[in-house]
Amino acid sequence: MSLPLAEINKGLDKLNLVKGGIGRGTNGNAIVVEGISKNFRIPKEKKLTVFEHLAGLVGRGTSSYDEFMALQDVSFAVKHGETFGVIGPNGCGKSTLLKVLAGVLYPDSGRVEINGKIAPFLELGVGFQPELSARDNVYLYGAIMGLTHKEVDQRYDEIMEFSELQRFENMKLRNFSSGMYVRLAFATAIQTNPDVILVDEVLSVGDESFQKKCSDKIDEIRKAGKTILLVSHSLATVRSLCSRCMLMNRGQVVALGETGGVLAEYERMRGAGT
Amino acid sequence: MWIFEYRELIKILTISDLKVKYQSSVLGFAWSLLNPLLMMLVLYLVFSNVFNANQDNFALYLLIGIVSWRFMAIGSSAAMGAIVGKPSLVNKIYIPRQVLVTSVVLSNLISSILEFLVLVPLLIILGAGISPYILLFPFIHMIYFLIVYGISLILAALYVYYRDLNQIWDVLIQIGFFLSPIVYPLSTVPPKYLDYYMLNPMTALIQMYRDVLLYHQLPAPQDVAVTIAAGLFIMVAGTLVFKKLERRFAEEI
Repeated sequence: MSLPLAEINKGLDKLNLVKGGIGRGTNGNAIVVEGISKNFRIPKEKKLTVFEHLAGLVGRGTSSYDEFMALQDVSFAVKHGETFGVIGPNGCGKSTLLKVLAGVLYPDSGRVEINGKIAPFLELGVGFQPELSARDNVYLYGAIMGLTHKEVDQRYDEIMEFSELQRFENMKLRNFSSGMYVRLAFATAIQTNPDVILVDEVLSVGDESFQKKCSDKIDEIRKAGKTILLVSHSLATVRSLCSRCMLMNRGQVVALGETGGVLAEYERMRGAGT
Repeated sequence: MWIFEYRELIKILTISDLKVKYQSSVLGFAWSLLNPLLMMLVLYLVFSNVFNANQDNFALYLLIGIVSWRFMAIGSSAAMGAIVGKPSLVNKIYIPRQVLVTSVVLSNLISSILEFLVLVPLLIILGAGISPYILLFPFIHMIYFLIVYGISLILAALYVYYRDLNQIWDVLIQIGFFLSPIVYPLSTVPPKYLDYYMLNPMTALIQMYRDVLLYHQLPAPQDVAVTIAAGLFIMVAGTLVFKKLERRFAEEI
């Protein structure tokens, strides 16, 4: 019984792609986050062996770690097709939030719901192997992003064209410059056809013309009705791209709403020196 | 289902694991064959005088035991480092973490099958011959895979938190080697301990390999039942433990 259902889902996916990836979620929200908290335990002394754990049991029974609340009761929702900004000072929990959304970290409590295929651009080129050729790395990276061999086949030319690295496709990656490296990663990652994109300040990659190309591509994706969650320190970027955003501080949501108001709040907070 | 969705990544990682294993040494694949053969030779010289009174074809008896044991010993030890060895795939991006363990166990499964394939001509050369019962081999190996995979999931997850687990596991594997009927016949086990001895699923498993490869007979039904039950149990336990421990991998790695 499950097979025909999977077929129908596949069919629906295709339909969604044609319509620009909107839909799937019935409530119109691409990302729903309800009351998530994340507590990091920072051990006073790192115990990494069975021996140390046993020795610890014999010793005093006090708690041997500090707690750090990286996220406290964070809730928000992002609609389909929206570009949503997250801002805040260093250490406010932005990156932890992104990692929770990406599925790398699990929240201690609360609920995360993502409707659609998600592509986290937290760090580009994760899993690249320097000893493999550019071509092999595109296939590897595609697989990490959940693409099949056939899907990469179909997109390979476009990836190489976008990255402007056709001439180097058989070169080993260790001979690449860092700019080429990131270009290849971005070009591959963008081809996964995601519905929801998480972006962590990676827009500033490569030289100026490639940066332009990337932001054009992001723009294109935005116009195609995809959902983007953008974490940035550049208030100008947030102002120009995001309709709504969220201000965080010390793991908590300080303000949430129209970009103009939230940015004003951020200015005020910085002015107050906290 | 993650295993289907990420089949391409599993394939790529499995192949690259095999490549690393066989390209890093000059003799490559030959080493993985020489190793059990040399070990068999040493053990044969040592133990044939001790036990061979009632054991026909002791060389093949040893060899089947060693080759089958190697999948457990090498596979589980290699898979233990599957998560810790690829930190960036754990804390920088999301992939189902089982993928990492699966690909290491699969590459060791392939190695193990290749070693068994080399065993086939030796069966003929050393006079045991082959019979249609050899067709049951894939079935037995599949049960074995479940056992190794389940244990690997537990080890790989625990190793993230306890980094001296490899030392402990090395010792346990050594003990397991001598608690399984690899170098001695089952008949040398004192009858009063036999019930406890048979609790080790590796015993039943090795017996099954010998049944179909050496003795040309159907495996004993109780061996089949014990190994299937053990395989399913370990597999479920492994998945549950892994699921639970996985939640804090990205922080601990």
